[in-house]
Amino acid sequence: MMFSPQAKRRWQRFKSLKRGYYSFYAICILIFVSLFAEIWVNNRPVIIHYNDTLYFPSYGDIIPGDTFGLGYQWETNYRDLKQVFDNNPDSGNWMLEALVPYNPFENHFIEGEFPPYAPSIEHRHYLGTDMAGRDILSRLVYGFRIAILFSLFLLTISYVIGITIGALMGFLGGGFDLIFQRIIEILSNVPILYIIMIVASIITPNFWTLALMLGAFSWMGLTWYMRTETYRENTREYVLAARSIGASNWRIMFKHILPNSVSILVTFFPFSVVSGITALTSLDYLGFGLPAPTPSWGELLQQGTSNLDYQWIAASAVIALTIVLTLVTFIGEAIREAFDPKKYSYFS
Amino acid sequence: MSQHNLLTVSGLSKFFPVKKHSLFGDKQYLRAVDNVDLYIKPGETLGIVGESGCGKSTLAKTIARLYASSAGEVHFHGANLTKLSQKALRSIRPKIQYVFQDPYESLNPRHTVGSILQEPFIIHTQLSLQEREAKVKALLDTVGLPEHAINKYPHEFSGGQRQRIGIARAIALEPDLLICDEPVSALDVSVQSQIINLLNELQKKMNLAILFIAHDLAVVKHISDRISVMYLGSIVESADSDELFKRPRHPYTQLLLEAIPNPDPNAKRSERRITGELPSPINPPQGCRFSTRCPMVEPRCHSTRPPLIVTDGQDHQVACHYHQQSFENWESPWDY
Ligand SMILES: Nc1ncnc2c1ncn2[C@@H]1O[C@H](COP(=O)(O)OP(=O)(O)OP(=O)(O)O)[C@@H](O)[C@H]1O
Ligand SMILES: [Mg+2]
Repeated sequence: MMFSPQAKRRWQRFKSLKRGYYSFYAICILIFVSLFAEIWVNNRPVIIHYNDTLYFPSYGDIIPGDTFGLGYQWETNYRDLKQVFDNNPDSGNWMLEALVPYNPFENHFIEGEFPPYAPSIEHRHYLGTDMAGRDILSRLVYGFRIAILFSLFLLTISYVIGITIGALMGFLGGGFDLIFQRIIEILSNVPILYIIMIVASIITPNFWTLALMLGAFSWMGLTWYMRTETYRENTREYVLAARSIGASNWRIMFKHILPNSVSILVTFFPFSVVSGITALTSLDYLGFGLPAPTPSWGELLQQGTSNLDYQWIAASAVIALTIVLTLVTFIGEAIREAFDPKKYSYFS
Repeated sequence: MSQHNLLTVSGLSKFFPVKKHSLFGDKQYLRAVDNVDLYIKPGETLGIVGESGCGKSTLAKTIARLYASSAGEVHFHGANLTKLSQKALRSIRPKIQYVFQDPYESLNPRHTVGSILQEPFIIHTQLSLQEREAKVKALLDTVGLPEHAINKYPHEFSGGQRQRIGIARAIALEPDLLICDEPVSALDVSVQSQIINLLNELQKKMNLAILFIAHDLAVVKHISDRISVMYLGSIVESADSDELFKRPRHPYTQLLLEAIPNPDPNAKRSERRITGELPSPINPPQGCRFSTRCPMVEPRCHSTRPPLIVTDGQDHQVACHYHQQSFENWESPWDY
């Protein structure tokens, strides 16, 4: 099915709400940049020209030091290599470094000083380093990528479950509806963060298990919505009309009811993203999230708040978090307004 | 006689459960349709008339089994629709089609006219996309819509045009029976007659039987072969169209006839009016359902419910204890 005229109108209206529209652009750019973070933010250079051969180390296997005549088997230390190149300007060898030449796992030590290092252009730690000497900007970028992918994956899980169960409750009614109402009431009262902490202290969760666990407990809100919406659509005359021409339940569900009830879920989307990011960040902050040394905003925040003398750590994390959550909230608000200009005009 | 019927409805009832006020109260029902008998022969039109809320739509939807019935039988093409399995029902559906009361509600707002009209063919035939599109174009032509309507959405059309789309969908699979639930009451007066003419044409062309629902007698007069008058979920009078207009026996029918505006300024004007509200179908009056509003009510009407009986031997049925007196006292406001 193509976009209906109503969807097109909503998109037009969304575009006319500048704040939300620009925030949408900004977030898209951030996501795009972070997806290719290996190019911009990496201790590996983008391009190396060595003895008339071009190397692109950003992606792929490690290139051993031998390749560049450094005399070792392990991964090239590109900062040393840069020194070598710089000392022999006539060799014709050069490299194009990444904008931020640090990867998020690397502990950088500057001679004669102990980390954390304050932000400095000279050392190209634009936001400084954390307590272990890891570049903060680098960790922010990779941490953002993980957080946004995490919350999108979480959102997919909870939407698939929520839509399916909610729609079935509204469509089938009766016993199915009653049973799931009770199940949802029970699940909604489970303190999910505590459960995850308990589980995390027994097994170390990874990206997928953590998302699955959170997902299993975050679909309930949608269900009520889908249930009422499906029930309402199911009693409308266009559905009766479909039934009267002999459409099967399957067809009625997928061709008629879902397209008419699911589109409004777009308005919940940004807020689900926000809550996904927030959940991951809080778990990481408490140390029950993704295992170290995964780059993570929550972990950075934790370091920052326990080492307030080094203000740049907490400041970077807080500012980054604020910017991203604000942008997403602006988008959400604009989407709501685009869907229903009367109801959500509280910020105009 | 009855073996020639296309549709035979007997004892059909539809009760909606009502929310109880207390846990221990009796379970209450709203008797939207209460023990209705009717039949339709191939190619004929039966008009059903009654005021708003008397259960016309519910009756129509229960006949088409868009609602499950509470009691009674619906025989159509030799099958009892109320007992049919979902699968068998789906395959008989093309033969009994429905035109809805509200053309704004009955078309999926997200589907183009093309996909709305293709749907019957997708469900019931193996036609290719090109063949389906050709069918849709032919349908649009039949109902008097331009070909380019195919890519438009329902909201781009006026009420009358939407109703044409609804009709096109209903006739797509060449049904034998078309149930038209107040197909014109949501439309402008100027458009109403066009739609009725269209239905008339289609009926002749396709030998359709039509169950035509309306809330006033004037609308059904010209298109119906027979008319049944409905009051509070039941049929109170049923007769050939001419017969009903010339010799109405039920006081309710008479009042409906007197309420039709007469353009002739010299015509006799009746002083009688239907007064009061339609009683609640949850607690219908004892005895005759119409007793609370009947101008000729007698004590007996409050205690005994009159059955629908045949009078005159002319296929004229009426449910009134005093239909004889009622008819003798009646003065028609019309000159026929
Ligand atoms: N789904 C339903 N659930 C409960 N009660 C219903 C339902 N549908 C209709 N009713 C009730 O049944 C009665 C008959 O309604 P129905 O819509 O059949 O009347 P109608 O004659 O078609 O009226 P109108 O001319 O306004 O369309 C009304 O009292 C209505 O409130
Ligand atoms: Mg109705």
